[in-house]
Order: sequence, then structure tokens, then C-alpha cells
Amino acid sequence: MKKSLLLSSLGGALAGLLVLGNVATSADLKIGIMVPTTGSEATYGKDMENAINLAAAEINKAGGVLGQKIVTMTGDAACDPQQATSAASKLVSADVTAVVGGYCSGATMPTMKIYGDAGIPMVIPAANSTKLIDINQGNAFQINSTGFDQVKTAVSLFEAKGINKLAIVHQGDGYSEDLAKLTREKWTAMGKEVVAYEVVNKGEQDQSALVTRVKSKAPDAVFWTAYYADGAMVIKQLRQGGYRNLIAVGDGSNSPKLLEIAGKAAEGVYCFSNPTVEYLPAAKSFHANYKATYKQDPDAYAALSYDGMKLMADAITRAGSTDKAAIIKALAATKEFTGIAGPISFTDKNTLARSNFVILVAKDGKWILNK
Amino acid sequence: MSIQDILLQQLANGLILGSFYALVALGYTMVYGIIKLLNFAHGDLYMLGSFVGFIILSFLSTYIGDGWAGILCSMVLSMIAVGLLGVLIQRIAYVPMLSAPRLSILITALAVSMVLYNGVMALTDGQYLAFPTDLSYEGFDLGNVFITNTQIILVGASFILMIVLYLFVHKTLYGKAMRAIAIDQDACRLMGINVNKIIALTFFIGTSLAAAAGIMAGTYYGSIHFFMGFVIGLKAFTAAVIGGIGSIPGAMLGGLLLGLLESFGTQIPFIGTEWKDVFSFSILILLLVFKPTGILGKTEIERM
Repeated sequence: MKKSLLLSSLGGALAGLLVLGNVATSADLKIGIMVPTTGSEATYGKDMENAINLAAAEINKAGGVLGQKIVTMTGDAACDPQQATSAASKLVSADVTAVVGGYCSGATMPTMKIYGDAGIPMVIPAANSTKLIDINQGNAFQINSTGFDQVKTAVSLFEAKGINKLAIVHQGDGYSEDLAKLTREKWTAMGKEVVAYEVVNKGEQDQSALVTRVKSKAPDAVFWTAYYADGAMVIKQLRQGGYRNLIAVGDGSNSPKLLEIAGKAAEGVYCFSNPTVEYLPAAKSFHANYKATYKQDPDAYAALSYDGMKLMADAITRAGSTDKAAIIKALAATKEFTGIAGPISFTDKNTLARSNFVILVAKDGKWILNK
Repeated sequence: MSIQDILLQQLANGLILGSFYALVALGYTMVYGIIKLLNFAHGDLYMLGSFVGFIILSFLSTYIGDGWAGILCSMVLSMIAVGLLGVLIQRIAYVPMLSAPRLSILITALAVSMVLYNGVMALTDGQYLAFPTDLSYEGFDLGNVFITNTQIILVGASFILMIVLYLFVHKTLYGKAMRAIAIDQDACRLMGINVNKIIALTFFIGTSLAAAAGIMAGTYYGSIHFFMGFVIGLKAFTAAVIGGIGSIPGAMLGGLLLGLLESFGTQIPFIGTEWKDVFSFSILILLLVFKPTGILGKTEIERM
């Protein structure tokens, strides 16, 4: 059973290569796409693949890159380290000039060594674990914000709102505690005050104890760093308990379900979110083109994937050749590249110089972009 | 907020939390009183109560709205439906085990609990559901202390339910039969009391009280999920033990006391709100060590 599966998948891959071989001529520019197109994350992966192909089609229509047409080929990472490794090896042996892709951080990590050893320039549109930073050999560029970036966005909102006394609440899990800790460090480093730093148990319904504790410290803002289900109850009970100041929630709470559960209590709550198409004014025409081409709405990482391909093409143009080292150099030198998800420049660690998190606000039971 | 404000606010919060605990604890204590069973599925019946209420209220809200009228109707209907389910569970799972060793029926109760919450998990995909009502936050603003009308109504409703229960058990013939069965089942049979019927009635009442608490919690907290009965089941058990398991006034007192202890306990400086459960269950351990019969429980004189 296993053997026949392996054989058939090998056969499929071979057939794919043959088809590609027929289409791609030596004058074409081969760019690999590495996303999960099977498995639990397949919907996100397909969405990213669609967006990248759309970008490539647009570039080709406008004359291609350095006079060459872009031909993409997709490797299925399946959100699985082993599958991703073989997909990456396949792309490398197909001699791609560059790679755009990486959705699951866990599956992207082992491929970074393969691309790194081969010196292939890579733009990672989605995977954003801070662990990717340490294993980067310098050829990969992350255009999604990492955990550190959300803190920057959060702090900028609190500053803009004239907040002094901040209350931070998390749930003790790795993700929410990390965000809470980083925010506290940053906030106190700015000489401001964190008046309450609380933990609540997961799944706890009654948050009255928390509400009284928070209220007794009279904070100007409450920042909830954990997930939507409990966040909704915290918001509801804070408002029920008479707390009237600002409430903000992290991207783990970025869900319409939070608004549904918290009801009118959620009105005016701020939320930090990855740049998804629906909140990006610059992505209007992309949205329309995507819908016309694929008969569906773009999903969470479409905008960033689209930007990833456009950025890669831009870097190759600036490098003036398809030499891989030159492209990596050009990518690193990127200055304020205008993507539909926001401007892109890189730090010396090849992460975004400026957070592309957007700030949403709840209005009439919907998240809208905060102006 | 001054210390007095904090104490007053927590008194209000503790009362509402305590009345939820008390309603659930009553079912525990009644079932234990009559057949000496710790019904560990009781917390899950609280959860089921809120889900059945969710379905009924979603349906009713198009006709009579999602205000208090809708909530009251769905509460009554859900109490009846879940109460009948409680009787069914008793018939299927507990009656055949009554003559078996005590441990068997306890394990059966755990199994029933797992069947219930895993069943609901499968049906809802483990999702949080938004309870289909959004009551206003109007209420009394006493400076720093804030008490909403919803809180007052819910505490009032649970007190009414508790008073009705007390009167039922102490002033009616059925109540008298319940108390008699708690003392001696065989003697009751000899006196012509239909013991099985009265036990079923006890399950019905206990379960429907848990369902009432479930709907109140859904209304108050705004969301329900399959696992919501687990912790409150354990807390209600603690409350029943504090009051003296088997004693009805004890369950009421124990529930309110536990709610208040938790509310005040979490405000102790340097102890965060995450210590809430540690606090409650430490009380359970201390009580079991030093006064296992609870506040109102007496050793084997009269239960219920």
C-alpha cells in the first residue's frame, strides 16, 4: 500500500516535471512556490499559491522580469517537516532561481537549510516563528510580522491614545504569555506603568475576580493577549463590571466569534491583526482580480504571498541578473518596497523593519480598520 | 477603589457565583442524600441545560424576543427537558447498579459524564457558542461598585428556586417521602411508598436545578461550551461537602459560602486570580480533614 502510494506520487512528480519541462524554455525564469497544498492547511496553501501565481501572471503580462517570463512550480510542503524537505529538494534539483513560500513554521524550518546550502533566495510570506530568525543563513526574508512586531503595534496604539497605566492579562500559555511579557518589558522600558499583570485560567467562565482586581488599579487600558473565546467573556464582564476605558486584544482574539459572544460589550474594542485583504485599502484591485480569476475571496495570507512574488521580481530586476547571490543582495537592500500589505524594508536579521500589523476596531458587531 | 469598595463589589460577585454553585450543589446533595450516589455527571447536566436552553431560546427569540420573557420560557422548558433526561439516565445507568458495590455506580457516573460531554463536543465540534441574548448593563453605580440589574435578577431567581425547593421538601407529602427514603428505604417500602418513583422525582428536581443554573450562566457569561460543566461540577461538589453532603440547606449555604470565599480569596494581594481554583480545592481538603461532615451535616442522623 505504502509502496504503491510512493510509486504513484513519484510518478506524479515525474509527470509534473515532464509537463514543466515542456513548458519551460531555457529563457524562462523558474520560481518555486512552497506551500501546503494537501493536508489540514491545504486551504491556506492553495490560497497562497493562487495569489503568487496571480502576481506572476501580472508580471508576465507587463513584460516579465529582465525580459524573461516567470514560470512557477509548486512543491507541496503539506505542513509536515518531512514532506517539506522532499518538496524543497525537488525544487532545488529542478534548478529554480528563487523560492516564494513557507506557511507552517515547523515545516519551513528544515527547508531553510536546503535552500540556504543551495544559496537560493527565498521570500517567506506567512511563517513567522521567531525561531526562523536564528536558523536563517541570510538567503531567506520574512515579510510577515513576528511576535515582536505585534508588541510594537500595540505600544504605538497605547501611546497614540495617551495611555499611561496599562493592565495586561494573559492565560499562561506560551503564546499569550510571550506577548504579555514582551509588551510589559517594552512599556516599562518607555518609563510607563504596568499597574496590573494578571493571569486567568483557561476555560474559566467567571472573571469577576479579575474584573475587580483590574478595576481597583484604575488602568487607562486593558490588553488581553490570549484567545477569543475567553477574551469575549473577559470583555463582557469588564464592561458589566463598569470598566469604561480602552480595551485591546491580541491577534489570537482576531475572530468574528469574539464580537458575537461579547455582543455590545465589544463595541470599540481594538484588535491587532495580520494584514488580511479585507482591511487593506491598497488591496482593492488585487481582491477584484483574485475573485475574477479564482471565483473565491482571498484568504488570510493572500496579500502577503502576492507581495512576496512582486518583491522577488522587483529584487531580480534591481539585481539586473538572475545570479542568486546578486538577488539575495538586492533583497537585503530593499528600501520601502510598496506592497499591498504595507511597505517592506528589512532589518539586518532579514525580518520586517516595520511591523505590518494593522489595528482593527469593533464597530456595529464587525471588525473594521482603525483610522 | 478603596478596600471597602473592593469588599462590597466582591460581596456582590460572590453572591452571584455562589448562587450558581448552590443550585448545582443542591442536585448533588439530593441525589447523595437519597441513594448515596455522588453523581459526577451532574456538572454535565448543568452544561446540557445551557445547550438545551440555547436551542430553545434561539427558536423562541423570533417569536417572543431574546429578553427576559424568552429567557424565562426557555429556562422552564429546558428545566423540564433536562430533568426528564436526568430521570432517563437514572433509569438506564443507575437503577441497574443500585444493588451492585458502591464503587461500580460511582464509575458508572463518571462514564455517564464522559458520554455527555464527549457527545456534546462531537455535536458542536468543540466550538464556543454565543448565547443568543445580550442583556443591557444598566444597574446601580455606587461610585466604584457596580451591580447590574441582570445580576440582581439572577441572584433573585436562584433564591426563589431554593426557597420553593425547601418548601417542597418540608411541606409536601412528596417531600416527606423523600426525607423518609433518605432515612430507610426498606421501611418506606413497607409503608407503601413508591420508592422508585420518589427517587426518579429527586433526580428530576436535582437535574432541573442544574439546568436552571446552566441557562443563567449562559445568559450571564454569554458563551457556552461542552466543557463548562467540569469545573463547576467539582466546585458544586466542594460546596455540597462544605455544607454537609446530603443536607439541602447545607448545599445552599455551602454554595454561597464557597462563592464568597473565592471572591474574597482572589483579592488577597500577591495571590493572583489564577489561584482561584487552588483556593477552593484547598478548602475542600482542609474541610475533609478537619470536619468531614461539613457545616450542617450530622453523622448519620437525618439526611436531606
